[in-house]
Amino acid sequence: MIEIKLVVNDKPYTLEVEPSERLIDALRNRLGLLGTKEGCGEGECGACTVIMDGKTVNSCLVLAAQANGSVITSIEGVGNRRSPHPVQKAFVEVGAVQCGFCTPGMVLSAKNLLDKNSKPSNEEIGIAMSGNLCRCTGYDKILRAVKIAAEEGKE
Amino acid sequence: MKYFQPYSVEEAIEIAHASESTFLAGGTDLVLHMRTGKAQPSGLIDLGKIPVLREIKEVDGFIEIGSMATFAELGNSELVAQNAYALWQACQSMGSPQIRNQATLGGNLGNCSPAADGLPPLLALGAEVHLISQEGEEFVPLSTLLSRTPLFGQDTLIRGFRIPINSWQSGFAKLGKRRALAIARLSVAVAVEINGTRVENVRVALGAVGRRAFLSESLGRELSGLDLNGAWLEKGILEVQQIVREALGARASAPYKRVAVSGVFREALASIITEGGTQA
Repeated sequence: MIEIKLVVNDKPYTLEVEPSERLIDALRNRLGLLGTKEGCGEGECGACTVIMDGKTVNSCLVLAAQANGSVITSIEGVGNRRSPHPVQKAFVEVGAVQCGFCTPGMVLSAKNLLDKNSKPSNEEIGIAMSGNLCRCTGYDKILRAVKIAAEEGKE
Repeated sequence: MKYFQPYSVEEAIEIAHASESTFLAGGTDLVLHMRTGKAQPSGLIDLGKIPVLREIKEVDGFIEIGSMATFAELGNSELVAQNAYALWQACQSMGSPQIRNQATLGGNLGNCSPAADGLPPLLALGAEVHLISQEGEEFVPLSTLLSRTPLFGQDTLIRGFRIPINSWQSGFAKLGKRRALAIARLSVAVAVEINGTRVENVRVALGAVGRRAFLSESLGRELSGLDLNGAWLEKGILEVQQIVREALGARASAPYKRVAVSGVFREALASIITEGGTQA
């Protein structure tokens, strides 16, 4: 076991992890943050997306030990029922959620885009969301929700 | 399994020399291979905490790229866009944003997948690989390195790459089953040195055609010293189809890739020569 220190959703943690343990396993099993979903487990679908040091990564392809010293945002750190993040609000309003399994990853990719670029073009939105697969919606409503969240942020 | 997190290159190669451990770059391939059992390292040397390996800078007429520079960092680099356009293009389309944020150019070579997106551009651009171990360090042309099996010893670290800064123009294109998140089925990188209307020198590299990316010497020869026009482009297409035919032989993908390569070759050249055969 090795000791790592990391900040998750603004809280500092010191964890003992296995060298082969993935970040997604540490988040779900050690910290009980079940919002991060494992879809394909091979970096294809983006369901396990978290923000690590200001960049989106697939937490199924990052070892927990690699995240030593990092600042992580998972879906639990983005908003809640009472005060949803503008992206979450827009997803609900537009109906961009069907089964919901891809949604945490989608929201984190969108949030990270808007944190860096408050006025993204449609093309920039498309690129930012290209690492997240959804097998229900056909993407139209998801992309529209991100656009709406961006416009609300501008006001 | 042991896990090391060194803070310097010296420390990293010392650990590699003293143990049988494997270097861990971004991990987007290795973490997956460990899970499937394809890789079973006795220890990992995580290179993520060595800042000097992330640098992308201009030094004495070269772009020097640390092995831990990510595809996202390369794709955001003005230095790379200006002087290594083919590599810059490859970095825009590799994987997904999440993968590009984590995956590194050094890891792309270390894993050496037949479809590695970074390798054809590096080959076309005449890149050298900076290797370092306790025995010393050396710069090896990537094309030479790729002819070795294994590429290098377990205790040798890919320190980085260097690409000569010159007046050559370059381009890259690939074919995937979809636009994002698709492994390249075929990729082409081209670099040309143009003098007026004449193509003085050409380097063409292919990916996902055979075991490893490779530089086609015969293509470089056949297409050099000619006028840049529509006829040159057509000649290039015929030649590149011939190369793919020879490289793939009777493989099931051969009939498809032989035809598809003409479009990918044309696209790789799109920033250099127009459809009509004039300079772009």
